[in-house]
Amino acid sequence: MAFYFVKRLGLSALVVGTVLLVLFSLLHMIPGNPAILALGTRATPEAIAEYTARMRLDEPVWVQFVHFVSQALRGDLGADVFSNRPVTAVIGDRIGFSLALILTGMGWAVLLGVPLGCLAAVRPRSWVDRVTGILSVGTIAVPSFLVAIWSLLLFSLQLHWLPAIGAGEPGDLSDQLSHLILPAFAIGLGWVGYLARMVRASMLEVLGEPYIRSARAFGLPPRRIVGGYALRVAILPTITLIGMGFGGLISSAVFAEIIFARPGVGKMIFDAVSDRNFPLVQGGVLVATAFYILVVLVSDLVIAWLDPRVRSSL
Amino acid sequence: MTVRRTITTRRTFLASGAALGAIGLVPGGAGMVRAQEGRVLNLRLEGDNAILDPGYMIGGTEVEAQKQCLPFLAEYVRDGDTFSWQPTPYVTRLEYADDTHLEFELAEGLVWSGGNGTVSASDVAYSYARMKDSEWSGYFDALETVEVTGERTGVLVLNKPFAPFIMVTLCHGPGAIVCEKATEAVGGRFTTEFPAICGPYTYSQTPGQRAVFERNPEWTGPAPGFDRVVAHVITEVQAAELAYEAGEIDCTELGPDSLARYTETLPPNTAITTAGELQYLWMGMNTQHEKLQDIRVRRAIQHAVDVDSILAGAFAGTSPKSYGIVAPGLLGKRNETSYSYDPAYARQLMDEAGVTGLELTLRTLNWQERLLTAQIIQANLAAIGITVNILPMESGPFWEMGMEEAGDTWQDLQLWLMRFATVPDPYEATQWFVSEQVGIWNWERWTDEEYDRLYEEGLSENDPAKREEIYLRMQQIMEDTGAYVWISHDPEVYAHRADIEINAAPSGELDYHRFEPV
Repeated sequence: MAFYFVKRLGLSALVVGTVLLVLFSLLHMIPGNPAILALGTRATPEAIAEYTARMRLDEPVWVQFVHFVSQALRGDLGADVFSNRPVTAVIGDRIGFSLALILTGMGWAVLLGVPLGCLAAVRPRSWVDRVTGILSVGTIAVPSFLVAIWSLLLFSLQLHWLPAIGAGEPGDLSDQLSHLILPAFAIGLGWVGYLARMVRASMLEVLGEPYIRSARAFGLPPRRIVGGYALRVAILPTITLIGMGFGGLISSAVFAEIIFARPGVGKMIFDAVSDRNFPLVQGGVLVATAFYILVVLVSDLVIAWLDPRVRSSL
Repeated sequence: MTVRRTITTRRTFLASGAALGAIGLVPGGAGMVRAQEGRVLNLRLEGDNAILDPGYMIGGTEVEAQKQCLPFLAEYVRDGDTFSWQPTPYVTRLEYADDTHLEFELAEGLVWSGGNGTVSASDVAYSYARMKDSEWSGYFDALETVEVTGERTGVLVLNKPFAPFIMVTLCHGPGAIVCEKATEAVGGRFTTEFPAICGPYTYSQTPGQRAVFERNPEWTGPAPGFDRVVAHVITEVQAAELAYEAGEIDCTELGPDSLARYTETLPPNTAITTAGELQYLWMGMNTQHEKLQDIRVRRAIQHAVDVDSILAGAFAGTSPKSYGIVAPGLLGKRNETSYSYDPAYARQLMDEAGVTGLELTLRTLNWQERLLTAQIIQANLAAIGITVNILPMESGPFWEMGMEEAGDTWQDLQLWLMRFATVPDPYEATQWFVSEQVGIWNWERWTDEEYDRLYEEGLSENDPAKREEIYLRMQQIMEDTGAYVWISHDPEVYAHRADIEINAAPSGELDYHRFEPV
């Protein structure tokens, strides 16, 4: 297990490095003078020169890359081009909101999707299965940004049940929770369908296994067979899917953060790209990538912990 | 003592989550908070204020923050359909002694926060001296020095007569006065916090979320109309419009589509205010390009473009028609052009020029209304036998395509759609087309000695009638080159609660402390 962990950690570092390299290359392939783009078309030559020197834009790209990586390893992601605040502080202001949104979005999707999948598998071809199937495909097909807009129009503009924008009053937990409902609903809805379909398929396969038949023959209660034996095995591919799903949710969260005007790392990266605020883009993407890789790593470790066969094959 | 261990089971976790969710759903939480806070104004902030220092700011909402927290000598005032200025409550006197000496006297009792003393004439001198070395130094080119004549009195000495100085410099963000003592204490520059304030409101910011303006207890000037202003960070204008309709903000800028919708059916308790129309959109032509060197071809294009169709089709009828570069409300604004939409005459001009099968490239930013504009022009010019290829561009290469120092694209430049923003004086819009701007911002690449001379005269002329004559003539010279098809002046329009009277600068910055409940 320890060897597996170290191996995965090494691979993760490699992925982060590759992502950064690609990002750096892409940023420098954007046409136009980054100094003019960042400072505006009427910026003075002195301001452009100062910006160019401060951002090391006059140095070769590989030198800039090496400098960024070496600083990042020391925990220094640079400074915001405009406010000069440390990028780590800017990200720190927002990452909590992103994590809350992503975890809540995936959390409610798991709480609903997994039981729905189980229910559909236990009663295949019943009306429950058919309704679950239709709902699952329906929720998967609708893009999350459309769900965000529709839910905002319905629950905020028409019904006035929930707030439309922001993250709530600082220090007011109930206000913050009420501001979290619609965005989390929007980004999580599609995942209810994904998870329900995945769990149903896995459960159907597992429920046909000989050990499940044996359990039934021994007269164990159906709830225990499904929850205690079948789901424990059927959930393994779903855990992988959830891990991968966090990557998708980081993207979905950008739309939700823009539409609901919530602070978050995704929206911060989006704005920073528009403003050519390269240090923020690099820092934000680095943190988002690291978060994604961490989640995938954790999901792999959980699978290895749950399934001895995976451990033995390491 | 018995210590009871709390065990979190799946059931207790779910129950706790449900309870927290139910608390969140209870309506009135935020509303109750608001009710306790007195008169609260909720507004939109386009993004975080990154640099509040007037010398190094980006502009926009940062100017809005400065207007609430820092002294200014003059402020904009709307006089019917035109813009003018008036002294602020920070001064008891602001007047020209002669063409180059502007005397001021600060009001008594103005104090900086944090025990930084009173606002003095030396603060004015310090502020404007540092502006001359700042990124906004262009606004202070005409300022020679500030002579301090007393604790609260001084003279702004100009190096030449410069008529727009008050409107362009003192009323706008660069005219903000900072506290010398406090600014020096933080190293001479600041970003997201004011070193010291003197204004109707205090300022605090939660990055990514909001900026909050509370009444300043040390402020001795006129009381603002609202006790608290909360400016929510909403980057997208469409999201802000939805927030307005949901009742969460009291005022928001409107995009062209929403303006058309609101004009047709106004939401309840809503009024619309136009701050200004200080932007000018035109189609430019490169007079030096071999395909456009013949002025008859350029004039044919002027007559072939149906601007009214563009305003209806691309701008939903919400932008006023442009007749030149001087915006509505300013001295020298034109009310007609010497060309009109006349495809038959345009074809005749093409025949006279002996040009057939002409194929041109029209470059534009890849924005929706620009692309629609380009498509209408494409159809218009097809009617006189000109094939137009539209080239949508990203902002990076677009903004440097006519600059000689940025590559060779300027040599291939033929037609383009361009919009500039300007300030509330006609001189600013005219400066980009003088001879020395060829290859910088004069992408049409024409020169005219009379135009250059009139530009200098306009700067120093103080007689409004003569200035108007100058700027009308300059626009006529531009139009006579055949290199321009004037299109629109995009307005800065705000929707707001009908029971609130808003106040905005002509360039669109809101002045919160001048908002009034009606």
